[in-house]
Amino acid sequence: MTATIPEQGGATAPTVSLATKGLTKSFGGVRAVDGADVTFHKGKINALIGPNGSGKTTFFNCVTGMIKPDSGRVTLDGRDITSKPPHRIAAAGIGRSFQLCRIFPRMTVLENMLVGVRSTSVLHRLGSSRNAGDIAKARELLRRVGIDHLEQSEARDISYGQQKLLELAGVLMVDPETIMLDEPAGGVNPALIGRIGTLVRELNAEGRTFVIVEHNMDMVMSLSDHVVVFDRGRPIAEGPPSLVQNDPRVLEAYLGV
Amino acid sequence: MSGSLLLQTLILGVLLGGLYALLAAGLTLYFGVMRVVMIAHSAFLILAAYLAWFFHQQTGLDPLLSLAVTVPLFFVVGYLMQRGLISRLRPATLTMMSVLLTFAIALAIEGMLGFLFTGTQRRIQLGYSGSSIEFFGARIAVVKLIAFGLAAAALVALFLLLKMTRFGQALRATIQHPEAARLLGVNTDRIAGFGFGLGLATAAIGGTALALDSTIYPSLHWHWIGPLMAIIVVGGLGSIPGAAAAALLLGVTQSLLQLPLGTTWAQTVFYVALFATLLVRPQGFFGGRLAQRF
Amino acid sequence: MPSVSDRAAPAHVDGEAPGRSRFDLTIVGGKVVLAVVLGALVLAFPMMATDAFILSVGVVIASYAAFAVGWNFVGGFTGYISLGHAAYTGLGGYGTALLVLELDLNPWVALVAAAVLVALLAVPIGIASLRVRGASFVIVSIALVLILLLVAQSWASLTGGAQGLRVPRPFGPDVLRPEQHERFFYLNVALVAVALAVWWFIDRSRFGTGLKAIREDEDKAQALGVPTGAYKLAVFVISAFFTALAGGMYALWFGYLDPIFQFSILIGSYMVLMSLLGGIRSLFGPVLGAVVVGYSLEFFKVHYGDSQFHLVALGLLLALVVMFMPDGVIPAIGALVDRFRPQRSSIREMTAEELLAHNASIDDKSAGTATATDDERDLATVPPRSGKDLR
Repeated sequence: MTATIPEQGGATAPTVSLATKGLTKSFGGVRAVDGADVTFHKGKINALIGPNGSGKTTFFNCVTGMIKPDSGRVTLDGRDITSKPPHRIAAAGIGRSFQLCRIFPRMTVLENMLVGVRSTSVLHRLGSSRNAGDIAKARELLRRVGIDHLEQSEARDISYGQQKLLELAGVLMVDPETIMLDEPAGGVNPALIGRIGTLVRELNAEGRTFVIVEHNMDMVMSLSDHVVVFDRGRPIAEGPPSLVQNDPRVLEAYLGV
Repeated sequence: MSGSLLLQTLILGVLLGGLYALLAAGLTLYFGVMRVVMIAHSAFLILAAYLAWFFHQQTGLDPLLSLAVTVPLFFVVGYLMQRGLISRLRPATLTMMSVLLTFAIALAIEGMLGFLFTGTQRRIQLGYSGSSIEFFGARIAVVKLIAFGLAAAALVALFLLLKMTRFGQALRATIQHPEAARLLGVNTDRIAGFGFGLGLATAAIGGTALALDSTIYPSLHWHWIGPLMAIIVVGGLGSIPGAAAAALLLGVTQSLLQLPLGTTWAQTVFYVALFATLLVRPQGFFGGRLAQRF
Repeated sequence: MPSVSDRAAPAHVDGEAPGRSRFDLTIVGGKVVLAVVLGALVLAFPMMATDAFILSVGVVIASYAAFAVGWNFVGGFTGYISLGHAAYTGLGGYGTALLVLELDLNPWVALVAAAVLVALLAVPIGIASLRVRGASFVIVSIALVLILLLVAQSWASLTGGAQGLRVPRPFGPDVLRPEQHERFFYLNVALVAVALAVWWFIDRSRFGTGLKAIREDEDKAQALGVPTGAYKLAVFVISAFFTALAGGMYALWFGYLDPIFQFSILIGSYMVLMSLLGGIRSLFGPVLGAVVVGYSLEFFKVHYGDSQFHLVALGLLLALVVMFMPDGVIPAIGALVDRFRPQRSSIREMTAEELLAHNASIDDKSAGTATATDDERDLATVPPRSGKDLR
């Protein structure tokens, strides 16, 4: 499947998954995110693009609770998740990857996977992490991303590309309904970009919503259903990729005309 | 309580706060350039005080003259320490391991001082040691004024260096945004080394000032490191003006509390302020964006 | 659902953890034998000790081991290095003594009660110091010892101040000194055993996996749903509890408390050095470190007396460990054993694909660079990940 689904509004208006209203965050005197109103569509692959320094990563971090916004609201399926700590946001169903890929370097690949096991009771937390159920789930996901043969290696010993796959698999362990990826194609070769793209599509087909921050325009244009363009801390355009691509405001932001 | 006693206490508090401010500025520099909590700072302070005392003992000259040796020496030692030791630690565990490393250095310095000069308490006796000035009924020892003047002059010099020179600009850039500084062509590694050197130079000046009017002994540095760390947390880790403000505030508070509580209990004000800050406003009260995630 | 990767589809045939070779079994067997022998040696130590002095050295070392294992709950799992755990040994000691003296409690009840009180006190301390990362934790840990030293010295009516505090002995006067030492030796060993058992239990639990993830990358762990604050606080309180028990035990044995020695930065740094030297990420690391450091300390005391030089030696040793062996002795030995390990993959049935990947990953280990399977070979030249501390 290569064609993107054109969304023309009207009767089939998309459901809102993640949304922000007036989100603002400044560092010193600089407003990194400046009153951003953004909506992402449920069950779709959403992309967030914009020139360097346009506040995408700060926005991302505000939404996932890594940074507390100065003002504004973040909602997930209508529920307010503003300024909740990251682990609560994870529990609410948002999984995220990090720019430049972060894994637990001195734990094995399998142990890396087991971190994301959800617990609800103290008793469950005290249970063995090496139990058949969790391990089977972890292996299944590792197999799915194609690095199950490395499960006993320490994560720092596998290649960067494999670490990216491990990070994605680790996020899937939490079973998030919404997955936010920060530059999934950053620093990886074309073959692997293709593989990650395929994975994203498959996971999306299973009903997971994606929000992807990305610089690789080919990937964004071929993969996403809905694109939000950021500039100076707020969205300047949004819509299906084909529309956004030809928006003069977007060209201006990118080319600095 | 008489008004003049209160005034005297207040002045003494400010004078003490000046020294705290200088030393806290040094700690802030290390934290700024490397995110390192330099436990050995106060050990170097005491080392400088011992060097001043030793210099005076051997030559009979004014201990202030020892600054000509200790300041450049400490600057070089600080630079070498950063380049040779601290920068070689793994970035992922830098915060913790640098604390241990500088702690180890503090122990070694304390041990060396005890070994060379024994644990005996030392004090410099100068011609002007006993003299004091009257100021609206408050008696202020001359040596304390000299110590404060030294600290204040050093702080002003440091401030001008940071604000007015190219080096200062590069240093501030390194503190605020190392990656951006690198992109602008700043050699952040060297600058971090110089930052350490500067920090240690404040310990040299502070130590000499301390030696003028205090009794010194090898383990004295533990009495300094606690208050100093409290000051940089209250001021907001990484902010020099914040540290200076917190230093003056806490120095004066400590002095005032000495009247009703006595010296020992008054010292607890630092720790109370430290805990209160971390509970209420962990990023500190006077600036300190750096502190947010440390 | 269809597998994404069509390359590495056939996984391990038996679904078991790979690498259980004969070599591994030998290692496991060796470990068991070693553990039994060492355990027997420890238990037989009091019988082998030729005089009361050597026996007392044994008690000190066992005490240090209990301190270090208590410390390692927070240091080993979360990577937060506390330089001020002497606060908890000291509070445990004073708490036990005061409960015996003031409330006339049974000494053993007092020991446990004091540890519980210290654990409760650790809650607000933990909340204050763990909220912000790294630096503040260390600062608070040191500040806590300094403040307690001030209080213990100044509050003479309760603590005896600089005069010290005499702790009544739990065993009657008819129990002679060597007998005392022997009993306390076993008590300390038992305490260490219990603490190790708890450590092991946490280590294999989901809670433990979360803690280790915090040690590796706290933000990442939290993004995966680990409630980092609560986890850190929980393990911090457990650590304070066991450290306080060890401190109380020491107080009951030694029979005398002096603020300078109880709330001493030095004691705290011994705990760090012992754990770090042995290896904070391994179960027995702190115990091994305690034996080495405890023995060296006693050796130094006997041969060089109270010279300040032991501070220099301690500082140098700590600096050397931090610079060159931050993972400790036990992991270093483990790495050595690994070098004699035969090629894991060769004895297993594998597809050519898997073999290639395995060899690549083994190459990675020895070369320390990132090379990988065929389609990812170009990835070796990516920028290094920014560390936990950079932002």
